[in-house]
Amino acid sequence: MKSLLVGLLPMLLTGAELSVPYEKHQLKNGMRVILSQDRAVPVVSVYMLYGVGARSEEKGRTGFAHLFEHMMFQGSKNAPKGMHFKLIESNGGSLNGSTHPDYTDYFQTLPSNKLPVALWLEADRMRGLDISQANLDNQKEAVKQERRLRVDNQPYFGAIIETWPELAFRNWHNSHSLIGSFEDLNAAGVADVVRFFKTYYAPNNAILAIVGDISIPETRKLVEDYFGAIPPQPQPKHPDLTEPAVTRGRAAVHRDPLAQVPGVVVGYPGPARRSPEYYALGMADVLLSGGDSSRLHQNLVKGRQSVVRFEANPGWPFQSASDYKDPNVYAVFLLHKPNFTGKQIADQVQEQMDRIAREGVEAAELERARTLLRSTRVQELQSSLRRATLLAQYELFDGRPEWITEELDRFTNVPAAEIQAVVRKYLAPEKRFTLEIVPAPKEAAK
Amino acid sequence: MKYLIALMLVSALAAQVQDRARPPDTPPVPDYRLPNVFETKLDNGLRVMLVEDNRFPLVTVRLGFLAGSRFDPAEIPGLSESVGAMLTEGTARRTSRQIAEELAAIGGQLNGVSSPDGLTLAGSALSESTPRLLDLLADVARNASFPEEEVALHKQNRKQSLLEQRSDPGYLAEEEATRAVFGSHPYAHIGPTMESIDRISRVTLAGFRDRLLAPNNATLILLGRLPSRDRTLELVRNAFGSWQSRELPAPPAPRFPEDRKQVILVDRPGSVQADIRIARRAVTRRDPDYFPLLAGHTVLGGGTSSRMFLEIREKKGYAYDAHSEFDAHRDAGIFGAVTQVRNEVIGDALDAVIKEMQRMGAERVPAGELSDVKNYLSGRFVLGLETQNGLANSLNMIGTMGLTTAYLENYTTRIRAVEPDQVQAAARKYVSPEKSAVVVVGDAAKIGETVKKLGEVRTVKPNP
Repeated sequence: MKSLLVGLLPMLLTGAELSVPYEKHQLKNGMRVILSQDRAVPVVSVYMLYGVGARSEEKGRTGFAHLFEHMMFQGSKNAPKGMHFKLIESNGGSLNGSTHPDYTDYFQTLPSNKLPVALWLEADRMRGLDISQANLDNQKEAVKQERRLRVDNQPYFGAIIETWPELAFRNWHNSHSLIGSFEDLNAAGVADVVRFFKTYYAPNNAILAIVGDISIPETRKLVEDYFGAIPPQPQPKHPDLTEPAVTRGRAAVHRDPLAQVPGVVVGYPGPARRSPEYYALGMADVLLSGGDSSRLHQNLVKGRQSVVRFEANPGWPFQSASDYKDPNVYAVFLLHKPNFTGKQIADQVQEQMDRIAREGVEAAELERARTLLRSTRVQELQSSLRRATLLAQYELFDGRPEWITEELDRFTNVPAAEIQAVVRKYLAPEKRFTLEIVPAPKEAAK
Repeated sequence: MKYLIALMLVSALAAQVQDRARPPDTPPVPDYRLPNVFETKLDNGLRVMLVEDNRFPLVTVRLGFLAGSRFDPAEIPGLSESVGAMLTEGTARRTSRQIAEELAAIGGQLNGVSSPDGLTLAGSALSESTPRLLDLLADVARNASFPEEEVALHKQNRKQSLLEQRSDPGYLAEEEATRAVFGSHPYAHIGPTMESIDRISRVTLAGFRDRLLAPNNATLILLGRLPSRDRTLELVRNAFGSWQSRELPAPPAPRFPEDRKQVILVDRPGSVQADIRIARRAVTRRDPDYFPLLAGHTVLGGGTSSRMFLEIREKKGYAYDAHSEFDAHRDAGIFGAVTQVRNEVIGDALDAVIKEMQRMGAERVPAGELSDVKNYLSGRFVLGLETQNGLANSLNMIGTMGLTTAYLENYTTRIRAVEPDQVQAAARKYVSPEKSAVVVVGDAAKIGETVKKLGEVRTVKPNP
C-alpha cells in the first residue's frame, strides 16, 4: 500500500529541529485520513472534521449547525444516547465537539490502546444518527440554555457573537448569528436534521486525523474496517461567501445591560488567506498584540494607561486565523477605563497602526516577534490534539497538511517593508469598523 | 501451522462482524509512568526538581512558593495575587518593558500566579535560552522593585477587572459559597475587594515578598530539553545560590467553622437564569478520604457521564452545564455542586441537585459505575503527561501540598483501590447537602420565593 503523500518535514527552529511526520490517504468513499505517529507518551487523539459550519446555514435556520453538533452526541445505530460520553470517559479519555463558521469538529483524546473505541463511535454516528423528535427537543433546550448561559446572561458576548458580525459583514452567510435565535431553533424540525446529516455528514465531506502512539499500518486497517463501507453522498455545495468591497468605515454602539467595564471592537477587512499580504498581516498582528512587549500593551495598557486588557487576531472572535476561511476580518477587542470613550480608544488603536504605516518596524522588534511566533507554534505542537486539529484544518482549507510546520516560515520570512505596506493598505482609518460596547446597567435585561 | 492460520482468520472475521454492533474490546488503561525526576536541595534550602524531556526544543520552569492567598493579611485580601502580578513589572536591574522584551526575544513567558496555598512564577522559553530564562526568573523572584507608577496602574486595572469579574454570576456564586464554607479562615476569599486594592502599595507588596519569598520556602522545577545535569545545576546555583534563607512566618491556624446549613441568595436584577452552587468543606490530598471523595465527586458531577450531567442536562434539559468541583487545598478542601438554570425551573433544579447529592451518601455506587469512574480518572491522569505544562503543574502541586513524587507514582493505583463503601462514607461526610451552603445568584424578584422553600434565606447585594 502506497500513500498518496508521505511527509517528513524537519524544520530549522533556531538551531532545534522540529518535525511532524504524517501520512495522508483517501478511502474509496472519499474520506481523507491523516495519520501521525508519536511514540513518546501512550496517548492518541482522534479528530474528525466535517466541512460544514454556521456559514452554510439557511435563512430561518440560524444556529442549526451548532444544534446539529449537539445531535451528534444523541446516539446512533449501535451507540444509544449517552454511550459516546460514557465510552470515551470510562476508557480514560476526554471528548468534545465545536461549531465554527466553516467547519464542525468532533474530537477525543484517549490512552492510545483505546483507539478502536473512538473509531467505532465516530464511524457509527457517521453511518447513521438516531434522529428522534424527543432527542431534538431535549437538545433545543440544552442549546437555548447554552445561549442563556453564554450570551444572554454574560456581558460582551451578545455584542461579540451577534452585533459584531452584522457590522463586519454584509453577506448574510457571514453576518448571521452562529448560536442562533430562539425563534429559529424552535422552527427546526426532524426533517431538517435528516437532510443536513445526509448532505454534509458524508465521508467525502470529512477529514479524520489521528495523532499519537499508534502503528500506522494497523491504524490504516482499523480506519478501513470501520469507515470503508460508509457510502459517499453527492459533494455538497458551499455557499457564496463573497463580501462586497468595503469603501468606507462603519460604526455601531451596543448597549450592554450586564457589562460593568466599557469595551470596543476595532476591525478591518483582511487580505485573502494564504496570500503574501495575509502573512504580512499575521506578522503585524504579532507586533501589535503578541505578549507584553507588543505595541498595544506597551502603549495603551502602559503608556496611555487607557486599556485594561485586549485580544486580537485575524478571524477574531474565533481562536485563530487557522480556523477561519475567507472573508477574514482582523479585529482587536479591548476593555478600557471608563474615563475614555470607545471612540477615543479606537483612535488610539488607529494611532498604533498609523505609526507602523508611517515609520515601519525596527529590526530588533521584528526579530522578537518572529521568535515569539516560533515558540508559540512549538508550544502548541506538544499536544497531540492540537497537531491533529492543525493537520486536518490545513487539509480542509488548503489541501496542505504539511503547512503545520512549513507555514511558520512564510510568516517569519516576511520582510519589514511588506509589514509596513500591508498595515498602510489594510489597517487604514477609512476601512475601520468600530463597535462600542457601553455598559447600560440600569436597563433590565429581558 | 495451516490450522492455526485458519483459526486466526475465523477469529479475525468474527471480530469484524462484532465491530458494527458492539464497542470493541480494548486492554485496560495503561499505568501512569512518571518520567525520571532528579531531586536535590541547595544549601539555602531551595528544593530543585529536574526532568529531561527532549521531545520539543522547549524548557518549562516553575518556582513555587508557599505564599498563596492564605497568607494575605486580613485587611488586604488579594495581596498575594498582586505580588505575583507585580514581580514581573520591574526589578532593580530591569524595567517592566525590558522584562517583556527580553522574554519575547527568547520566545518566553513568565507570570506570577497565586492560588490559595502557593505563589508560583511559571514560565517557558525556547530551550537554547535556558540560561537567560533562569537569569530572568531569579531576578524577578529576588529583586522585584514594585515601581510606584506600575503599582498605581496595577491598582487601577485590577479595580476594572474586579468589576468585570463581578458582572459574571458564576464568580459571585463562587465568592459567596467559598466565604460561607471557610468563615474567617483566609481560604474564604477568592479575590480582592475594592477597599483591599486601595491598601496595596510598594510597602505592603515588598513586605509580603520579604516575609515569604525565600529559597527555603520554594521549589524550583525545570523540565524540557535541558543542558547536561552538571551544567543545569551550575546554572541553577549561579542564579539562586547566593539567595539567603530566612525564618518563615507560621501559616494561619487551620481552624474552620462547623459545617452548617445556609441559604444565600445573591440578588442580580435582570438575570435571565439562576446560578446554583452548593458547597461544603472537604478534605486535603493527604486525608484517607481523598481518593474515595475524588471518585464520589466524579460519579456525581465529573464529566459528561456523571449523574448531574445526565439528570440535570440530558434528561431534564434544565441546564447546559451541571457539574461538581472538588478543590483540595493544603489544610482543607472544598466540594461544590454547580449548575446554571433558567429562572422558571429553579425550584425543580435545586431539588434535583440536592437529591443527587443525598443519593451519594444514601446508596452504594454500583460497581460498574465506579469502575468507569476509576478508568476515567486514571486515563485523564495519563493524558496530563503530554505537555511540559501538564507535568510541571503536577510537580508544582506536590511541592505546594507538601507531597512527594510517590503521590504521582501511586495515583492510579490508589484510585483503583477505592471501594464503594468508602465512597459512600466519604460522600456522607462531605457531599450530603444537609450541612451545605446553598448559594443562588439571580433576580430575587423572580426566584426569591422559590429559594425560600429551602430554609431561612440570607439575601446579599453584590458590592460593585
